[in-house]
Amino acid sequence: MNNKPKVGVYVCHCGINIAKTVDVNAVTEFASHLPNVKVARNYSYMCSDPGQLLIREDIKNEGLNRVVVASCSPRMHELTFRKTLAEAGLNPYYLEMANIREQCSWVHEDRERATGKAKKLVAAAVSKVRLLEPLQEKEVEVEPATLIIGGGIAGIQAALDIANAGFKVYLVEKTPSIGGRMSQLDKTLPTLDCSACILTPKMVDVASHPNIELFTYSQVEDVSGFVGNFQVKVRRKARYVDMDKCTGCGACAQECRLSGRIPSEFDVGMGKRGAIYLPFPQAVPAKYTIDAQRCLFLTRGKCGKSPKCIDACAAGAINFEQKDEMIEFKVGAIIVATGFDVFDASRKPEYGYNDYVNVITSLELERLVSASGPTGGNVVIGTGEEAFVPKEIAFIKCVGSRDKSVGNEYCSRVCCMYTAKLAHLVEEKIPGANVRVYYMDVRAFGKGFEEFYDRVRREGIRYIRGNPSEIFKRGDKLVIKVENTLTSTPMEDEVDLVVLAVGLEPRKDAREIIDLLRLSQSADRFFLEAHPKLAPVDTATDGVFLAGCAQGPKDIPDTVAQAKGAASSALVLLSSGRVKVQAQISFINEATCRGCGFCVEICPYGAIELVTVNRMGHQVSVARVNEALCKGCGACAAGCLSGSSQQKSFMDRQILPQIAVLGVMK
Amino acid sequence: MVDLEKLKNVARETVSRDDVKYLIGWRQGTYGFRVSPHFVKEPDEAEKLIFSPLCTNNLATYLVLTERLPLLRGEQPDSRKVALMVKGCDSRAVVQQLIEQGINRESVFIIGCPCEGVIDLKKVEEKFSNQPGPVQARWSNGKIVFHLPDGDKEVPKGEVLAAKCLSCRYPNPVITDLMLWEEVQTRGSDEYEDVKELEAKSPQERWLFWEDKFSSCIRCYSCRNVCPMCYCEDCVLDRLNPAWVFRSNNISENTAFQLARAFHLAGRCIECGECERVCPVGIPLTKLNRKLAKEVKEKYEYIPGLDPESKPLQSSYRPDDKEDFIL
Repeated sequence: MNNKPKVGVYVCHCGINIAKTVDVNAVTEFASHLPNVKVARNYSYMCSDPGQLLIREDIKNEGLNRVVVASCSPRMHELTFRKTLAEAGLNPYYLEMANIREQCSWVHEDRERATGKAKKLVAAAVSKVRLLEPLQEKEVEVEPATLIIGGGIAGIQAALDIANAGFKVYLVEKTPSIGGRMSQLDKTLPTLDCSACILTPKMVDVASHPNIELFTYSQVEDVSGFVGNFQVKVRRKARYVDMDKCTGCGACAQECRLSGRIPSEFDVGMGKRGAIYLPFPQAVPAKYTIDAQRCLFLTRGKCGKSPKCIDACAAGAINFEQKDEMIEFKVGAIIVATGFDVFDASRKPEYGYNDYVNVITSLELERLVSASGPTGGNVVIGTGEEAFVPKEIAFIKCVGSRDKSVGNEYCSRVCCMYTAKLAHLVEEKIPGANVRVYYMDVRAFGKGFEEFYDRVRREGIRYIRGNPSEIFKRGDKLVIKVENTLTSTPMEDEVDLVVLAVGLEPRKDAREIIDLLRLSQSADRFFLEAHPKLAPVDTATDGVFLAGCAQGPKDIPDTVAQAKGAASSALVLLSSGRVKVQAQISFINEATCRGCGFCVEICPYGAIELVTVNRMGHQVSVARVNEALCKGCGACAAGCLSGSSQQKSFMDRQILPQIAVLGVMK
Repeated sequence: MVDLEKLKNVARETVSRDDVKYLIGWRQGTYGFRVSPHFVKEPDEAEKLIFSPLCTNNLATYLVLTERLPLLRGEQPDSRKVALMVKGCDSRAVVQQLIEQGINRESVFIIGCPCEGVIDLKKVEEKFSNQPGPVQARWSNGKIVFHLPDGDKEVPKGEVLAAKCLSCRYPNPVITDLMLWEEVQTRGSDEYEDVKELEAKSPQERWLFWEDKFSSCIRCYSCRNVCPMCYCEDCVLDRLNPAWVFRSNNISENTAFQLARAFHLAGRCIECGECERVCPVGIPLTKLNRKLAKEVKEKYEYIPGLDPESKPLQSSYRPDDKEDFIL
């Protein structure tokens, strides 16, 4: 085939989007005289079927081997026209788009000058398209397994869906049990069904599913590789309890010398556990774990004459010799479902969370109203003789949400409704309780939410619009200083208990996951999805998906929906078995590379590594691109001092002539 | 204090080692105040080594300029170390080369020479012109003594020191395998006064200033070739396709060349001033490099050439990096 460029230029009217501001006929006429241009046409909608047919016919009849489409942003229709070229038997990467809509007609008013600019953009595209090279899209095989990080409801749901579809799942959970935040909740809203009752069966399903391999008390240490072929290293931390032998009877926990002396994480510090413990009765796996930071034997090497747990365990499951275990496996897809942290209420010192025992957070109240909680479901504040049942109760909403002073501009989405739920539960549990809610707005947007909010108000819970400025003690009462913003009345409210409706925050250890998987964060510091609307579970790293609150605050229904979405996205990958990798990737000229490794550090996808090559007898190190990992972002090319790193279709010698045309022409 | 006997003894011992190829130091030049690099391969060649206020040259350049000739089949490359004598500023070049993996730590043996400041040849030659024979010099109580044919001349440092030494922050080598003598006191801080002076001018004035300087550039590439940080296998500025810079010598191409060179050194230049020293037409290249060094320091709190374990600027992205200066 003759490689002399024969360019076809197609100018789109985009209805009147372009044609109104740009004289498309003049641009076409101009383009027809550009070097190497064989055909120049314009049409009302190039992306329409007849528009594409025009291109295909010309390729066939005129022998075109390069195509310039002057229309919208390549983000919009580059793929469309690549397909058009491919259908006509031309390499799809012989296409260049001139964006005369977003970068011209939409932003200009002067028709004459806009036409001039459109001409320049077309001329630049023509000068570049002549220098383009054909590229091949490669495919790689997909390992039919998925790694799910985080065993909360999002991770559990995604794991079950993928496992039920017949694919292997590795579910890694940091704590000793799966269940996550949902297991700490008492009732779910708006239906008020018990959280444990709907969650526990799913937890059990996970544990017993033949396709799910569960790693609790484990952490992902390293992820390498790329979409379809991730190599994962997991550290299974030593529990000092033999998982196969432990029957979960609990005799060890009763005997532990520290029994009832260590604040329980599950009960947010209000309940107590021992050094050997089960986080909560329904924990899965129902195996005990020794807290290595607390256990007397492990920290001091001595626990009485011998550790009591060893004597108590009839199954002989206690093993103080146990070591961390490293497990390696391969997966094709990864779902990140690491969840959230609850806002630390002490960061709003004006609410006195650290100072007053009767200022508590909503999660603490959640444990207090729970039948399996530290008080057996009774709302009792304080301990011992000072314990009392509050009568006057106030909720304060938006603590740590919609609050720039603590750096959280976003709405946590769940607090409005859980506040309504908790207010309802408290009123139900304490006869004669007087409950009010201080709010900025009530956002009851979900299914059944407005109805529930309405019900709660009819039950006698007062909603007062105002953001309290301060809480202080007067006698044995707490005083809330607040302005009722609906009546503009400053007021002081004396109460027995203040419940801070704390918001959701990105996890403090989110950085580890970011470094592990090269994820990005949005402005709110949650993990960034690939597109807020059209790719809400995907990430910029192919094959890595998001589910649940790791991506942003959401309630249980939304979390489950997103988990199912992430599972289905992973399944698309796994069931197709093959994945196409980006063609416009970077490559390194190894002859000129000096091996400084700037690109290795710069690459956000970990796609470049230094390798040793033989250069005339000398062993020198040069950079090399892993073609399956490279996303073609071009950061390495920008960072390379010797110009040895270049991106296909965007090589210096391809874009410099393009720039020259833009600069020189009037 | 400079101990020349110790220096020579160390050099003799070093080149006698089996794992050392040669040692690079300084020796007196053939006329005036000139100094040459001295490559010591045999112990008896160490006798010529000197260390004096004349030793301006940054020898770190020779670490990366070493030509790697093609080897015959089966022939092994000489993997012995190169021993290098460094001043404070030179040592930062070595560190930066290590950061950029231009050299391996095992391939160099670094001999540190704490330095009280070296001369600006132009200033000295102006003071003592027409010196056909070699003239030696030494530091003495905060002054510099020149052994001229008509007797010793003592000159206050301020009159003859190179500009970089007057604001030197790192007179002591920051990386060594062996320190030759006790460290000297660090002199003050660097406020980039020279850069601020230029910054205070209007863009028009600045352009006129540089236009004048760049139009005299003869594109001899000395600045690039002497630079210890310029050691690409194949310099982009030499290439023809694409030609970032054309070969014609005019203000446009010269400016493009100088700006590309300066930008390629952003976050890498360790301000040894060699480019300016070797420039035959006296372009104040240090000002250009130091402007970028100042920007890098202020914007990214980054100082190159201090910690061999650190990452290069280009790849040390932090989420909280300032970006208010991006248009």
